[in-house]
Amino acid sequence: MDLRVAFDSVSKKFRRGERHDSLRDLVPAMAAAFLNRRRSSETLGDQEFWALRNVSFAVRAGEALGIIGPNGAGKSTSLKVLTKLLRPTTGSCMVHGRVGALIEVAAGFHPDLSGRENIYLQGAIMGMKRAEIAQRFDDIVDFAGVNAFVDTPVKRYSSGMNARLGFSIAAHLMPDVLIIDEVLSVGDMAFQQRCFDRMVEFKKQGIAIVLVSHNLQAVSRLCETAVYLASSVKASGPTIDVLDAYVRDSNKLEPTVDDGAIELRSIAFVSDGGPATTHRDVAPGAALKLRMEARSAHPQDDVTFGFEIYRSTDQLLVYNGHVHRPELGSPDDFNGEFHLDLAFRANLVRGHYYISFCILHNPTQAYLVQPRQVGTLAVAETRSRSGVADVDFSAALSLPVGTPARR
Amino acid sequence: MGKNGDVSMGGLIADVREMLKEQVEYRELLRQMTMRDLLIRYKQAIMGFGWAVFMPLVNTAVFSIIFARIAKIQTPVPYPVFAFCGLWAWNFFASALRFGVASLTSNANLVTKVYFPREIFPFSAVLVSLVDFAVGSAVLVGLMIWYRVPVGLNLAWFPIVLVVHVLFTAAIALVLSMANLFYRDVKYLFEVVISIWMFATSVLYPMDKVDGLGTLVQLNPMTPIIDAYRDVILLNTAPGVPFAVVAAATVGFLGIAWLFFHRLEFKFAESI
Repeated sequence: MDLRVAFDSVSKKFRRGERHDSLRDLVPAMAAAFLNRRRSSETLGDQEFWALRNVSFAVRAGEALGIIGPNGAGKSTSLKVLTKLLRPTTGSCMVHGRVGALIEVAAGFHPDLSGRENIYLQGAIMGMKRAEIAQRFDDIVDFAGVNAFVDTPVKRYSSGMNARLGFSIAAHLMPDVLIIDEVLSVGDMAFQQRCFDRMVEFKKQGIAIVLVSHNLQAVSRLCETAVYLASSVKASGPTIDVLDAYVRDSNKLEPTVDDGAIELRSIAFVSDGGPATTHRDVAPGAALKLRMEARSAHPQDDVTFGFEIYRSTDQLLVYNGHVHRPELGSPDDFNGEFHLDLAFRANLVRGHYYISFCILHNPTQAYLVQPRQVGTLAVAETRSRSGVADVDFSAALSLPVGTPARR
Repeated sequence: MGKNGDVSMGGLIADVREMLKEQVEYRELLRQMTMRDLLIRYKQAIMGFGWAVFMPLVNTAVFSIIFARIAKIQTPVPYPVFAFCGLWAWNFFASALRFGVASLTSNANLVTKVYFPREIFPFSAVLVSLVDFAVGSAVLVGLMIWYRVPVGLNLAWFPIVLVVHVLFTAAIALVLSMANLFYRDVKYLFEVVISIWMFATSVLYPMDKVDGLGTLVQLNPMTPIIDAYRDVILLNTAPGVPFAVVAAATVGFLGIAWLFFHRLEFKFAESI
């Protein structure tokens, strides 16, 4: 398929503080820029830092790529490079076709102008021709749901209406490449759903999408591949793997006193395909087992095994359960090497989950094994269900006894 | 910047081609930006375009009293027509620049968020003022009828004078808007310079009546432009040699200013 976005070892250098302090600095700097003679790009000067370092990714037509990472990771910088607002210090960025950017969708709005006037203005800012805008005008207004207020100045709009109108204009641009920054958080739930559906539709039409979002749920639903960015690329590839890496990094904890009293040697799903810490394509309701091999430095008796399932995409705690060692009966205590099996049923709906495990020493309430991510799951979609739990919903239709059968 | 961004002839041609191509691509945006600024300017103002007529008229009246009654300056046409013609052309220049100097910084929101050729901002500032200029021309026609100043065939030069004036204004607007983006001092400095500049130009009095001001005043490119307006509209003569020199210099100046602007454009988003 055709390559639409090629981000090739892009680095971008920024300076802390002001660029030039006086006219004396400005004139030589401008002359240098005019003659395109810049200082060596590869070295960092005083006060300089890398906002992006050797970042590469590619998006093909009909694909969606998610960019995730903590604040200040360079996500917005990479989008600005994509939209030509910033030029990379080194490396290159190629974008083929018309680019639609949903970054600050209402940036071009002027508060004193009416909705109608702003639609034409914003459309032109996004590179649409007048005829194109006129042709899609009604669709734009309908999608935004501001029909009654088209001729009202935008300053009288609610912030939600403002954002909806902005998104709607951008959503009717028909780009080849769509760049989206956190706009899914605008509008009410119904509007967010409409936006999401629109993006799925875009993908089907062969538009390449780059989505930056902290809404991992949206990233996991829309994007096949993702990049985890923290100035440089920390992980890239299939979305599930990248989400795992990001969530694992975000959940790192400070060590506690007794941590290390029990050493986990290995932990993996027991499955037909051999042991693995990631279990893909789990069918809803499947019985799963995690086997752990560990070693304790001291004899252990009064401990609790904690087991939790989180949804990777939004950190939702789906399940929390624990077992006290004494409830298990024999052996009375354990020492040295031991095995522990954690069995559960994946009554989950489509999505990415991770399993967190810990061992707590009850008398001192200290962790013998800190809560840590021990496995990840991807539940494949079988039917259209979503939500949190698989409640095995079904429906049955019947007619009351004695109802005459229709012809 | 061109694909290679060098200073060679090839790089230069690539840049110029890109500059022109972008303007064609984004012509709708230039139109919309100009519309936007016009709408905003006169929204919630009862007199609307009346202001474009009223202000130069008031100025003409004031200066007519000072220069025709008190200083008793001799002009080839009745003084109010002479002064209004000068003020009309000068006000276009000054208001386009006043608007242009802040055009990038007052649109910081767009400069940092959306990509399109940034020239649109100073260019639309010039176009907005050009609309006021067109409105003001009605008053000039009225004054010429009132004072019975005839027009002749040399009025055919008018479009050329106007184009040179617009290009000259656009070139300065490009430079000023860019300079103000890097240094906000430019906006204040501009106000000082523009008021002095007016009195060093033949806006209110013919320059040949002023002596002893030296070469600086003779090098002022605005004097031939203002004089050319009077020549072709009021005096029915062709523009003089100084105007031809200014016209040629303007083309070169605009080319350099625009190229400079284009090559620094990529720094705007991070410097604003």
